[in-house]
Amino acid sequence: MKKTSKSTMPSNEDYFRQAEKVFSVSYVNMLRAKGHAFLEQGYAGSYTHDAAEGLCLDCYTSGGACNLGRKNPAIIERFKQAIYETDQGNFVMPSQEKALLARRIADFVPGNLDCVLFGVTRGESMDAACKLVRGFTARPELVTVDGGCYGESGFALSLSAKPGKEQFGRLIPAVEVIPFGDEAAAAKAIGPRTAAVVMEPLQAENHCRRADARYYARVRALCDSAGAKLIFDETQSGFGRTGTRFFFEQLGASPDILIIGEAITSGMFPMTAMVFTPELKRFFDIHPLIHLCTFGGHDLGCLVAMSALDEYERLQPWNNAAETGEVLMKELVALAGKHAGTVVSIAGKGLLVSLKLGSPDMAVRFTAAAWRAGLLVETGRIDLSTVIFRPSLLIGAQETGRIVEGIAKALQSL
Amino acid sequence: MSDRPSITMDSQERDYIQHLFGKHVSWGQVRYLRCAHLDVYERARNGGTFTDAVSGQRFYDCFSSAGCFNVGRGNPKIMDTLRDALDEYDMGSHGLLSAPKVGFANKLAALCPGDLNKVILCTSGADACAGAIKLAKGATARNDVITTNKAYHGHEGFSLSANGKDYYKDLFLPLMPGFHVVDFNDLEAVKRLAGKNIAAIVLEPVQGEGGIHVATREYMTGLRRICDEHGIMLIFDEVQTGFGRTGTLWAMEHYGVIPDIMFTAKSISGGVYPNGAVVYREIEPLTSYVEANPLFHTSHGGGTDLGCVVSSAVLDYLVENKVWENAAKTGKRFKDGLNEIARANSDCVKEVRGLGLMIGIEYKYEFIGALMADCLARQGVWAVFSGNAPQVMRFQIPITASLEEVEDLLKRIRAAVEAMRWYLIPMMPLARMPLIRTLFDNVHVQIVAFNLIRDIEEFVRGVLGLRKQGVKS
Repeated sequence: MKKTSKSTMPSNEDYFRQAEKVFSVSYVNMLRAKGHAFLEQGYAGSYTHDAAEGLCLDCYTSGGACNLGRKNPAIIERFKQAIYETDQGNFVMPSQEKALLARRIADFVPGNLDCVLFGVTRGESMDAACKLVRGFTARPELVTVDGGCYGESGFALSLSAKPGKEQFGRLIPAVEVIPFGDEAAAAKAIGPRTAAVVMEPLQAENHCRRADARYYARVRALCDSAGAKLIFDETQSGFGRTGTRFFFEQLGASPDILIIGEAITSGMFPMTAMVFTPELKRFFDIHPLIHLCTFGGHDLGCLVAMSALDEYERLQPWNNAAETGEVLMKELVALAGKHAGTVVSIAGKGLLVSLKLGSPDMAVRFTAAAWRAGLLVETGRIDLSTVIFRPSLLIGAQETGRIVEGIAKALQSL
Repeated sequence: MSDRPSITMDSQERDYIQHLFGKHVSWGQVRYLRCAHLDVYERARNGGTFTDAVSGQRFYDCFSSAGCFNVGRGNPKIMDTLRDALDEYDMGSHGLLSAPKVGFANKLAALCPGDLNKVILCTSGADACAGAIKLAKGATARNDVITTNKAYHGHEGFSLSANGKDYYKDLFLPLMPGFHVVDFNDLEAVKRLAGKNIAAIVLEPVQGEGGIHVATREYMTGLRRICDEHGIMLIFDEVQTGFGRTGTLWAMEHYGVIPDIMFTAKSISGGVYPNGAVVYREIEPLTSYVEANPLFHTSHGGGTDLGCVVSSAVLDYLVENKVWENAAKTGKRFKDGLNEIARANSDCVKEVRGLGLMIGIEYKYEFIGALMADCLARQGVWAVFSGNAPQVMRFQIPITASLEEVEDLLKRIRAAVEAMRWYLIPMMPLARMPLIRTLFDNVHVQIVAFNLIRDIEEFVRGVLGLRKQGVKS
């Protein structure tokens, strides 16, 4: 230890200079280009806050994590108590917190997805799922669809369409990518060497792309006949975002493994999980502790997640997401018609809506304009020409009106 | 049953929790931990101890969730910081800046030696390991990585590929090509592999899960020299060794060697909120690569507003109390005491190793790991053997522990070893036969045998109405 840190309170501009130094200049410049060069603070409910600009409607919710709004008061109240009841716990041990949350998740998720392995990032949970299917089936091959986005970890990145991933050399082998929605390609790819088919049933970062309902049922049937497993990643489409608890309920096809993301705590605690069938759990019964995650199933996080599940059950926000999402979609389709030269298309379901613009540069300029118009939005990570709207699932007519008004202003300024 | 954790549990409630855990998570895990008497339900976590909700027995926590509780469990300063932060923050918007994120990153960089000035915020040790390997591969435009036998860096795809034990990998093949595993502390093996295809050498200065193997000074300085000669990125995993655990703030300080990339997690947030980080040198090609690819590794749950507030408080606590000095002082006494125990039991103990309060005892046979965990638990000492080396019992008590606590611990460990010797009287002669030894070392045999013993014991205890004896509160 040889350096000293400054103890005086820095100004906002100091923070940005420090961020350039400690993170990178290009990162801060990227934020500036998007109009996001501010220090986030004072967020609550459906709004985030910038000290200079004031309240701003949060249509990002940290990638659809804060489904119950920012700093949900009921969760905060329970969180504060829980700090003095438990801590992280020793991660290898069974605990009351883990057991009770696992039961709650099993009750919350439809169908026979009754078993849980906790994680701390989306990617780690996806990696655990890939390992589980390889271990269980003793088959190597993972089939996925193009345009997916599953996280930054080894397996997840290998399955993702993230631009630039070739920089990391040779990733996980035995991954086959097929066109999303192409039944013939699925039929050709899924076979006796296939451990699982992996997909987001709705690709949030890829202009909310989805397939016909028939496709999912067909893939399910192909997996069943080949003895392969089906993995759905609902990190962004889960917990009511698309108008049902999970998007797969609208598809007539259930997965064997479901990946759920930070919406389980409504953005209060880093927690993810892989939820799977009792049949697959046999693998972990035979091979205990073969996949570990120090912060996965954090005892304090479990109590926070249970209070969030209480709120989900009490508020049933999927109903509002369905109704408000429909209103929002109608308004945006009308708006797109007025800006046909700028807006390429609109897609989405419930309160997960994507606006496709003419180019990635236009999408960046739109986010900056939206911020000036009082909306926090983010660009898509796979389709860089898109801007995604995923507000709190608790927004009402007033906030919906503000979103439409903000989008109109932003489009006008382009 | 409510969703609130019980302060105490009767055996009926424990059975219900076990049933839930077994049904929804893993029966195998319940049985595996029970066989080594590690099936304890923690409550009243305080400093270096916790209480079993079922038996009321107080335990020394010698595992600390693999070194997560360096500031002590239930540290009021850290808990109060988190409580107060909840008035202002949640995780924060991923990708945006906030005062806690920038403030913590700066504070962390300021506490790292040399020109380790640049930070990437992550969620966990494995996530940070993935970030570190990606940084090295991306910056050097090379694919291959050298890692070490028995190494442990996590379970996601990158870190698993770098893992040094086949058990964790074999069922999930194929993993990433180009990871070369060499013996720890074997510089010649690294020299043979070093070349223009190698992006990085990744190692823990002290292998934790691998069985508390301490890198030598010659090895570390030699690795630095080889990396400089070949343009290879030297990566240190300080997930377990960081934040004062080994008697200095970072284990690298023992060697005077600065890696190009360091990653850390676990104790970074005092065991109350996940966080992690990659810290790298302000040198080429690393800075140019990150400037060209600022989003090369993003971490949704890493560098959250709440996590950064808590981690800043942890760093302040460590620095204000110079906790690493306590780790050095108590660690020396603990290691000396364990060496005394080893000398008195040289027929079954092979060696004591460690740095600061990261210490391991290696027994002569693998099966002794589970047996010793059981004997220690009966003395109020909760200790876990190494995942990648079951014959090594790890002692990683919170580094705030006092000398008095260490003396008490040593007394209990002595008693546990004495108790274990009774089991070894019939087992040691049998263990000299290769077939029997293979059976003893087999984890599935251990699970069945030790669970049977526990069943019989619980039945007898139930009949006689006996209670266990633990640490006095």
